[in-house]
Amino acid sequence: MKLIEKGLNWLDQTTNKNTRVLAQRSSRRGFLGKVGTALLGASVLPLLPVARAFGAEGLKEIGDPQSCDYWRYCALGGMLCSCCGGSMTSCPPGAEPSPITWVGTCRNPVDDLDYLISYNDCCGKPVCDRCFCHRTERDKPVYFPAKANDILWCFGTESQAYHCTVALVIGKA
Amino acid sequence: MKSLIRLFFAATLFLASATIQANPHVNYLLHCSGCHLPDGRGSPPEVPTLINDPGMLAGTPAGRDYLARVPGASQAPISDLELSEVLNYILLNFSGDVLAKDFVPMTEKEVARSRKNILADPLKYRDKLWEQYQ
Repeated sequence: MKLIEKGLNWLDQTTNKNTRVLAQRSSRRGFLGKVGTALLGASVLPLLPVARAFGAEGLKEIGDPQSCDYWRYCALGGMLCSCCGGSMTSCPPGAEPSPITWVGTCRNPVDDLDYLISYNDCCGKPVCDRCFCHRTERDKPVYFPAKANDILWCFGTESQAYHCTVALVIGKA
Repeated sequence: MKSLIRLFFAATLFLASATIQANPHVNYLLHCSGCHLPDGRGSPPEVPTLINDPGMLAGTPAGRDYLARVPGASQAPISDLELSEVLNYILLNFSGDVLAKDFVPMTEKEVARSRKNILADPLKYRDKLWEQYQ
Protein backbone atom coordinates (compact mmCIF):
# COMPACT_ATOMS: atom_id res chain seq x y z
CA MET A 1 0.00 0.00 0.00
CA LYS A 2 2.82 2.31 0.97
CA LEU A 3 4.63 1.47 -2.23
CA ILE A 4 1.64 2.46 -4.41
CA GLU A 5 1.24 5.70 -2.49
CA LYS A 6 4.92 6.44 -2.96
CA GLY A 7 4.67 5.76 -6.67
CA LEU A 8 1.65 8.00 -7.14
CA ASN A 9 3.34 10.72 -5.17
CA TRP A 10 6.37 10.51 -7.41
CA LEU A 11 4.20 10.63 -10.52
CA ASP A 12 2.40 13.69 -9.17
CA GLN A 13 5.59 15.55 -8.44
CA THR A 14 7.28 14.71 -11.71
CA THR A 15 4.25 15.72 -13.76
CA ASN A 16 3.91 18.90 -11.77
CA LYS A 17 7.58 19.78 -12.25
CA ASN A 18 7.66 18.98 -15.97
CA THR A 19 4.50 20.93 -16.66
CA ARG A 20 5.87 23.98 -14.89
CA VAL A 21 9.15 23.77 -16.78
CA LEU A 22 7.27 23.44 -20.09
CA ALA A 23 4.99 26.36 -19.22
CA GLN A 24 7.95 28.56 -18.29
CA ARG A 25 9.99 27.76 -21.36
CA SER A 26 7.38 27.82 -24.12
CA SER A 27 4.72 30.31 -25.08
CA ARG A 28 1.25 28.98 -25.64
CA ARG A 29 0.60 31.50 -28.37
CA GLY A 30 3.68 30.44 -30.27
CA PHE A 31 2.60 26.82 -30.21
CA LEU A 32 -1.03 27.50 -31.11
CA GLY A 33 0.12 29.86 -33.85
CA LYS A 34 2.31 27.19 -35.38
CA VAL A 35 -0.44 24.56 -35.24
CA GLY A 36 -2.86 27.06 -36.79
CA THR A 37 -0.49 27.90 -39.62
CA ALA A 38 0.13 24.23 -40.35
CA LEU A 39 -3.60 23.45 -40.35
CA LEU A 40 -4.47 26.40 -42.57
CA GLY A 41 -1.57 25.72 -44.92
CA ALA A 42 -2.50 22.07 -45.24
CA SER A 43 -6.10 22.92 -46.04
CA VAL A 44 -5.43 25.78 -48.47
CA LEU A 45 -2.53 24.37 -50.48
CA PRO A 46 -4.47 21.61 -52.26
CA LEU A 47 -7.06 24.18 -53.32
CA LEU A 48 -4.61 26.00 -55.53
CA PRO A 49 -5.11 24.38 -58.92
CA VAL A 50 -1.86 25.70 -60.31
CA ALA A 51 0.14 24.19 -57.50
CA ARG A 52 -1.63 20.93 -58.16
CA ALA A 53 -1.22 20.98 -61.91
CA PHE A 54 2.28 22.35 -62.22
CA GLY A 55 4.92 22.24 -59.54
CA ALA A 56 7.06 25.06 -60.90
CA GLU A 57 5.14 27.87 -59.27
CA GLY A 58 8.15 30.13 -59.73
CA LEU A 59 6.67 31.18 -63.06
CA LYS A 60 7.33 34.86 -63.74
CA GLU A 61 4.51 36.63 -65.57
CA ILE A 62 3.68 40.16 -66.60
CA GLY A 63 0.45 41.80 -67.68
CA ASP A 64 -3.14 42.07 -66.56
CA PRO A 65 -4.93 38.73 -65.97
CA GLN A 66 -8.23 40.55 -66.51
CA SER A 67 -7.27 41.49 -70.06
CA CYS A 68 -7.74 39.31 -73.17
CA ASP A 69 -4.16 40.19 -74.19
CA TYR A 70 -2.69 38.33 -71.22
CA TRP A 71 -0.23 35.72 -72.48
CA ARG A 72 -2.02 32.66 -71.05
CA TYR A 73 -5.18 33.44 -72.97
CA CYS A 74 -3.60 33.05 -76.43
CA ALA A 75 -6.19 30.42 -77.40
CA LEU A 76 -9.03 31.17 -75.02
CA GLY A 77 -12.54 31.60 -76.39
CA GLY A 78 -15.00 32.62 -73.67
CA MET A 79 -15.30 34.67 -70.50
CA LEU A 80 -12.36 35.25 -68.16
CA CYS A 81 -12.98 33.85 -64.68
CA SER A 82 -10.64 36.54 -63.36
CA CYS A 83 -13.37 39.07 -64.22
CA CYS A 84 -16.16 36.93 -62.73
CA GLY A 85 -15.18 36.57 -59.09
CA GLY A 86 -12.61 33.84 -59.67
CA SER A 87 -9.01 34.10 -60.85
CA MET A 88 -7.06 33.03 -63.93
CA THR A 89 -6.53 29.66 -62.23
CA SER A 90 -9.65 29.15 -60.10
CA CYS A 91 -13.40 29.11 -60.68
CA PRO A 92 -15.65 31.69 -59.01
CA PRO A 93 -17.44 30.40 -55.89
CA GLY A 94 -20.32 28.10 -56.78
CA ALA A 95 -18.96 27.16 -60.21
CA GLU A 96 -17.54 23.70 -60.83
CA PRO A 97 -14.35 23.25 -62.88
CA SER A 98 -14.72 20.79 -65.75
CA PRO A 99 -12.19 17.97 -65.51
CA ILE A 100 -12.10 17.72 -69.29
CA THR A 101 -10.30 20.46 -71.14
CA TRP A 102 -8.38 21.25 -74.21
CA VAL A 103 -4.70 21.96 -74.01
CA GLY A 104 -2.72 24.40 -76.11
CA THR A 105 0.58 26.24 -75.94
CA CYS A 106 1.27 29.93 -75.31
CA ARG A 107 4.54 31.85 -75.18
CA ASN A 108 5.38 33.60 -71.92
CA PRO A 109 6.85 37.01 -72.83
CA VAL A 110 8.96 37.11 -69.66
CA ASP A 111 11.20 34.13 -70.50
CA ASP A 112 10.16 33.70 -74.15
CA LEU A 113 9.37 30.01 -73.53
CA ASP A 114 6.30 28.05 -74.61
CA TYR A 115 4.09 26.60 -71.89
CA LEU A 116 1.28 24.06 -72.05
CA ILE A 117 -1.97 25.73 -71.05
CA SER A 118 -5.08 23.83 -70.01
CA TYR A 119 -8.32 25.74 -70.61
CA ASN A 120 -10.82 24.48 -68.06
CA ASP A 121 -14.37 25.76 -68.22
CA CYS A 122 -16.17 26.61 -64.99
CA CYS A 123 -19.71 25.29 -65.10
CA GLY A 124 -23.02 25.14 -63.28
CA LYS A 125 -23.84 28.86 -63.18
CA PRO A 126 -25.38 31.15 -65.80
CA VAL A 127 -22.87 32.63 -68.20
CA CYS A 128 -20.78 35.46 -66.72
CA ASP A 129 -21.19 38.43 -69.00
CA ARG A 130 -17.78 40.04 -68.44
CA CYS A 131 -14.46 39.98 -70.30
CA PHE A 132 -15.42 38.04 -73.39
CA CYS A 133 -12.25 37.01 -75.22
CA HIS A 134 -11.74 35.26 -78.51
CA ARG A 135 -8.15 34.39 -79.29
CA THR A 136 -7.33 31.54 -81.62
CA GLU A 137 -3.63 30.61 -81.61
CA ARG A 138 -3.41 27.03 -82.92
CA ASP A 139 -7.15 26.68 -82.44
CA LYS A 140 -8.79 24.31 -84.94
CA PRO A 141 -12.32 24.32 -86.43
CA VAL A 142 -15.01 22.41 -84.53
CA TYR A 143 -14.74 19.41 -86.84
CA PHE A 144 -11.48 18.88 -84.96
CA PRO A 145 -13.17 18.93 -81.56
CA ALA A 146 -10.16 18.07 -79.42
CA LYS A 147 -8.47 21.31 -80.46
CA ALA A 148 -11.46 23.65 -80.85
CA ASN A 149 -12.09 26.44 -78.38
CA ASP A 150 -15.62 27.15 -79.62
CA ILE A 151 -16.78 23.99 -77.89
CA LEU A 152 -18.16 24.33 -74.39
CA TRP A 153 -16.02 22.02 -72.29
CA CYS A 154 -18.54 21.44 -69.51
CA PHE A 155 -18.28 17.64 -69.71
CA GLY A 156 -18.06 15.49 -66.62
CA THR A 157 -19.63 18.21 -64.48
CA GLU A 158 -23.02 18.21 -62.73
CA SER A 159 -24.39 20.88 -65.02
CA GLN A 160 -23.47 21.72 -68.60
CA ALA A 161 -24.16 25.45 -68.07
CA TYR A 162 -21.06 27.43 -69.07
CA HIS A 163 -19.91 30.21 -66.73
CA CYS A 164 -16.31 31.20 -67.56
CA THR A 165 -12.85 29.79 -68.38
CA VAL A 166 -9.55 29.51 -66.50
CA ALA A 167 -6.07 29.00 -67.96
CA LEU A 168 -3.75 26.67 -66.03
CA VAL A 169 -0.10 26.13 -66.81
CA ILE A 170 0.40 22.34 -66.79
CA GLY A 171 3.98 22.17 -68.03
CA LYS A 172 6.69 23.42 -70.33
CA ALA A 173 6.28 22.78 -74.04
CA MET B 1 35.68 27.02 -94.66
CA LYS B 2 33.07 25.17 -96.69
CA SER B 3 32.98 22.29 -94.26
CA LEU B 4 32.63 24.76 -91.41
CA ILE B 5 29.61 26.33 -93.06
CA ARG B 6 28.18 22.89 -93.69
CA LEU B 7 28.74 21.97 -90.07
CA PHE B 8 27.01 25.17 -89.01
CA PHE B 9 23.95 24.37 -91.14
CA ALA B 10 23.87 20.80 -89.94
CA ALA B 11 23.99 21.96 -86.33
CA THR B 12 21.25 24.53 -86.94
CA LEU B 13 19.03 21.98 -88.65
CA PHE B 14 19.56 19.53 -85.84
CA LEU B 15 18.67 22.13 -83.23
CA ALA B 16 15.63 23.24 -85.23
CA SER B 17 14.33 19.69 -85.58
CA ALA B 18 14.92 19.11 -81.89
CA THR B 19 12.77 22.09 -80.98
CA ILE B 20 10.03 21.27 -83.47
CA GLN B 21 9.56 17.68 -82.42
CA ALA B 22 8.07 17.66 -78.96
CA ASN B 23 8.93 14.85 -76.56
CA PRO B 24 6.31 12.16 -75.73
CA HIS B 25 5.51 13.71 -72.36
CA VAL B 26 4.67 17.07 -73.97
CA ASN B 27 2.68 15.38 -76.72
CA TYR B 28 0.78 13.41 -74.11
CA LEU B 29 -0.10 16.58 -72.20
CA LEU B 30 -0.98 18.42 -75.40
CA HIS B 31 -3.09 15.80 -77.17
CA CYS B 32 -4.32 13.34 -74.53
CA SER B 33 -4.34 14.92 -71.07
CA GLY B 34 -7.25 17.26 -71.83
CA CYS B 35 -9.60 14.29 -71.41
CA HIS B 36 -7.48 11.51 -69.91
CA LEU B 37 -5.94 13.97 -67.39
CA PRO B 38 -2.21 14.43 -66.78
CA ASP B 39 -2.00 11.28 -64.61
CA GLY B 40 -3.99 9.13 -67.05
CA ARG B 41 -6.89 8.44 -64.72
CA GLY B 42 -9.59 9.72 -67.13
CA SER B 43 -13.24 10.10 -66.10
CA PRO B 44 -14.85 6.66 -66.54
CA PRO B 45 -17.19 5.71 -68.07
CA GLU B 46 -17.16 8.70 -70.44
CA VAL B 47 -13.37 8.93 -70.67
CA PRO B 48 -11.67 5.53 -70.29
CA THR B 49 -8.79 5.35 -67.84
CA LEU B 50 -5.29 4.83 -69.23
CA ILE B 51 -4.12 3.23 -66.01
CA ASN B 52 -3.49 -0.52 -66.50
CA ASP B 53 -6.13 -1.09 -69.25
CA PRO B 54 -3.88 -0.23 -72.23
CA GLY B 55 -1.09 -2.20 -70.57
CA MET B 56 -3.31 -5.29 -70.62
CA LEU B 57 -4.31 -4.70 -74.24
CA ALA B 58 -0.68 -4.40 -75.30
CA GLY B 59 -0.23 -8.12 -74.65
CA THR B 60 -1.88 -9.23 -77.90
CA PRO B 61 -1.46 -8.16 -81.56
CA ALA B 62 -5.20 -7.27 -81.72
CA GLY B 63 -4.85 -5.11 -78.61
CA ARG B 64 -1.80 -3.28 -79.94
CA ASP B 65 -3.60 -2.70 -83.21
CA TYR B 66 -6.61 -1.28 -81.35
CA LEU B 67 -4.45 1.12 -79.30
CA ALA B 68 -3.28 2.86 -82.48
CA ARG B 69 -6.75 2.79 -84.06
CA VAL B 70 -8.82 4.23 -81.23
CA PRO B 71 -9.99 7.66 -82.53
CA GLY B 72 -8.16 9.75 -79.90
CA ALA B 73 -4.91 8.08 -80.97
CA SER B 74 -5.35 7.70 -84.71
CA GLN B 75 -6.72 11.22 -85.19
CA ALA B 76 -4.20 13.07 -82.99
CA PRO B 77 -2.39 15.65 -85.14
CA ILE B 78 1.03 14.04 -84.69
CA SER B 79 3.22 11.85 -86.92
CA ASP B 80 3.29 8.05 -86.81
CA LEU B 81 6.62 8.16 -84.99
CA GLU B 82 5.32 10.62 -82.41
CA LEU B 83 2.15 8.56 -81.90
CA SER B 84 4.18 5.41 -81.33
CA GLU B 85 6.25 7.30 -78.74
CA VAL B 86 3.16 8.64 -76.96
CA LEU B 87 1.60 5.15 -76.86
CA ASN B 88 4.82 3.76 -75.40
CA TYR B 89 4.86 6.62 -72.89
CA ILE B 90 1.33 5.70 -71.78
CA LEU B 91 2.10 1.97 -71.64
CA LEU B 92 5.34 2.36 -69.73
CA ASN B 93 4.15 5.02 -67.27
CA PHE B 94 0.57 4.03 -66.48
CA SER B 95 0.63 0.24 -66.48
CA GLY B 96 2.17 -0.60 -63.12
CA ASP B 97 3.07 -4.30 -63.26
CA VAL B 98 0.29 -5.19 -65.69
CA LEU B 99 2.60 -4.72 -68.67
CA ALA B 100 4.25 -7.96 -69.81
CA LYS B 101 7.91 -8.31 -68.85
CA ASP B 102 8.80 -9.00 -72.48
CA PHE B 103 6.81 -6.02 -73.76
CA VAL B 104 8.10 -4.84 -77.13
CA PRO B 105 7.61 -1.08 -77.64
CA MET B 106 5.21 -0.03 -80.40
CA THR B 107 7.04 0.86 -83.59
CA GLU B 108 6.44 3.65 -86.07
CA LYS B 109 5.72 1.13 -88.83
CA GLU B 110 3.22 -0.82 -86.75
CA VAL B 111 1.39 2.35 -85.73
CA ALA B 112 1.35 3.68 -89.30
CA ARG B 113 -0.27 0.44 -90.52
CA SER B 114 -2.95 0.24 -87.80
CA ARG B 115 -3.76 3.92 -87.77
CA LYS B 116 -4.87 3.95 -91.41
CA ASN B 117 -7.49 1.31 -90.72
CA ILE B 118 -10.41 3.42 -89.47
CA LEU B 119 -12.54 2.07 -86.60
CA ALA B 120 -16.15 2.58 -87.66
CA ASP B 121 -17.65 1.67 -84.29
CA PRO B 122 -14.96 2.02 -81.60
CA LEU B 123 -17.21 1.20 -78.62
CA LYS B 124 -18.60 -1.97 -80.14
CA TYR B 125 -15.12 -3.06 -81.17
CA ARG B 126 -13.75 -2.30 -77.71
CA ASP B 127 -16.45 -4.38 -75.97
CA LYS B 128 -15.70 -7.32 -78.23
CA LEU B 129 -11.98 -6.99 -77.71
CA TRP B 130 -12.34 -6.82 -73.92
CA GLU B 131 -14.16 -10.17 -73.83
CA GLN B 132 -10.79 -11.83 -74.40
CA TYR B 133 -9.36 -10.22 -71.29
CA GLN B 134 -12.20 -10.82 -68.83
